[in-house]
Amino acid sequence: MIVPLSALGPGEKGIVVNIAGGHYARQRLVSMGLSPGAMVQVIESHSMGPIIFSVGGSRFAIGRGLASKVMVRKL
Amino acid sequence: MMKIVALAGNPNVGKTTIFNSLTGMRQHVGNWPGVTVEKKEGILEYRGQRFLVVDLPGTYSLTAHSVDELVARDFLLKRSADVVVHVLDATALMRNLFLTMEILEIGLDNVIVAINKIDLAEKRGIEINVKKMEEVLGVPVVFLSAKEGIGIEELKGKIYRMANGELEAKPVVPTYDPEVEREIRHITEVLSGTSLAEKYNLRWLAIKLLQRDEEVIKLVLRHLGSEKLDEIMTHISEVEERYKRAMDLIIASQKYEFIDGLMHNFVRYSHEQSETFSDQLDRVLTHPIYGLIALFGVFYLMFKFVFAFGMPLQGLLEESFSSFGVWLAPHIANETLRALLVDGVIAGVGSVLSFFPLVFLLFLAMSLLEDIGYMARAAVVMERIMRKFGLSGKSFIPLVLAFGCNVPAVMATRTLDDERDRLLTMLVNPLIPCSARLSVISFLAGAFFAERQALVAVSIYATSILLALLMAWVISRFVIKGEESPFIIELPEYLVPSWKTLLLHSWERSKEFIKKAGTIILLGSIAIWYLSTYPAPIGTGGSYAERLGRFFEPYTRLMGLDWKAAVSLLFGIIAKENVISTYGIIYGSEEAIVGIMRPLQAYVLALVTTLYVPCIATIGAIRAESSWKWAAFTVFYMIALASFVGIVVWHIGIVLGF
Repeated sequence: MIVPLSALGPGEKGIVVNIAGGHYARQRLVSMGLSPGAMVQVIESHSMGPIIFSVGGSRFAIGRGLASKVMVRKL
Repeated sequence: MMKIVALAGNPNVGKTTIFNSLTGMRQHVGNWPGVTVEKKEGILEYRGQRFLVVDLPGTYSLTAHSVDELVARDFLLKRSADVVVHVLDATALMRNLFLTMEILEIGLDNVIVAINKIDLAEKRGIEINVKKMEEVLGVPVVFLSAKEGIGIEELKGKIYRMANGELEAKPVVPTYDPEVEREIRHITEVLSGTSLAEKYNLRWLAIKLLQRDEEVIKLVLRHLGSEKLDEIMTHISEVEERYKRAMDLIIASQKYEFIDGLMHNFVRYSHEQSETFSDQLDRVLTHPIYGLIALFGVFYLMFKFVFAFGMPLQGLLEESFSSFGVWLAPHIANETLRALLVDGVIAGVGSVLSFFPLVFLLFLAMSLLEDIGYMARAAVVMERIMRKFGLSGKSFIPLVLAFGCNVPAVMATRTLDDERDRLLTMLVNPLIPCSARLSVISFLAGAFFAERQALVAVSIYATSILLALLMAWVISRFVIKGEESPFIIELPEYLVPSWKTLLLHSWERSKEFIKKAGTIILLGSIAIWYLSTYPAPIGTGGSYAERLGRFFEPYTRLMGLDWKAAVSLLFGIIAKENVISTYGIIYGSEEAIVGIMRPLQAYVLALVTTLYVPCIATIGAIRAESSWKWAAFTVFYMIALASFVGIVVWHIGIVLGF
């Protein structure tokens, strides 16, 4: 099932399939390891704040707007 | 000529610690010419040879979006360094190797890869084979634990050998799918006829062109003309059509695939990653509600710590300066010189320098929070709140720094990667009461509102913080409009900081404060002394200061303040501490202020002092970080705001019978 990253709950994992959104944000995400094929695990996702996730051994927080543009295959 | 060693790498990999252990105390901070990114340089001595070590800004990639990335990329592209030490975090190898590949793609053959945090990686069951890694990457590899000082000597040795041509790198570069490779070949052929071939690695240019890098597109446009460039770009779009994905994504994912292939040769993960303590901690500290409670707790403790230790030290320094003045006075025969030194220089500079312990401790506490890894979490918690006012969560850090001093806080906006966020944060920054204004607030609150001292001080802080947020909202709505930037921040590993780095860092930041006291405030104190002594002493009605005050009095009357307050505020532009010390000069003692003001006036004076015109050093910092235009804008909006608030509070106070 392919869903936006923002739809994953805490503890859920997914494989990045595609990233929509502007060139700038996309480059940022990619250089941080969030590129197609990467496995992400959501650590905290709360409707009131940014989404915390880990990818490739590092943890990041991104805004919900951006997270909804990252498409993942839910595992 | 000294050989140059550049340190490159992602943020949070421990570059600064390595820089410190390579250079010791022999380092200085300046600006890159033309841009406002800090340039840290230091000297490394090894086997009698001296090297200039340059700490490049931490970047995730060499796709230039922020000033930081542009600086790092230009430095590497121009081959300005004799040796490039690329620092990687062993616990996040995959992502860090992405930057490695970008650096190697430039065509550099003088790269040493330094894998830091190797001890942490071992604990997590990540085994790296150094021999295999060197073989596969084709570059020398050093294992480090910068914090423990492991591997530093070996790194120095390799730097020495590479700088002197005894060590070579034959780096591997990523290969992509045949279709992408065909594009790269095609573009390289087109470019090979131009003068670009002499200055750049054409494969690198081709890859950047495929990624639609703006700077590279402009560069190629100049050398090829729009017709040929268009032809290339159309080609790229066709490939994107076939892949159904943007080219920069195609290249990135193939680069990661390539890295994944390499890593199989030299990395073993011995056990599955389970949920770490950090994950659990993050769940609490970034939670919208618990996180906010934790944040208030942390900052309450921080201020508590700073004042508990800083205030007594400040009192001590203040006393020492005044006793020094008293001791010095009889030793100087010339009356004018004595007055200048004792009443002007020592009183003025001393009152500012006595705040140094407070400022230093505040920066120490904040550097500690940063190095532990907490500041990034605070930014996450504040993101939602700050966003409502047009700011980014990342703006929170420079705004907190402003409580110490606005000058380094304005400079700290450099950490914001979005230009609009950066400008906005800079413009509202001076509204946050710095420790200089704290001295004015606490003096007036203590003298006039003995019992309600704390309440008065808090009300002034709350007003200025609220106004800072409100102004951020107004400015982002009406002055610097534009799209909101996406929020992306790395949450670094929680770490026990190294004391040496911590002290160095706090010292670097608070140094500005001493510099300010030694230059602007010294000159200002002399000016104040001169204006209030000539042509006739103050109090007699003849001094320049009094005439200036009388000139502005009709205006300050609107907020219930007389000519003495007008003079004080005028001198306060140099440094806010002057607002009170001017009364000292006018009356001979600061305490004399109590007899001539009513509490309401004192309250308005404290409020206006907090809100009007940033001090000269802050104005200078805003100009240096943006432009004269924005510095002037800040001065004008703050005068208008302070006048408005002052007049309103004064009149409401009168009506209420205070």
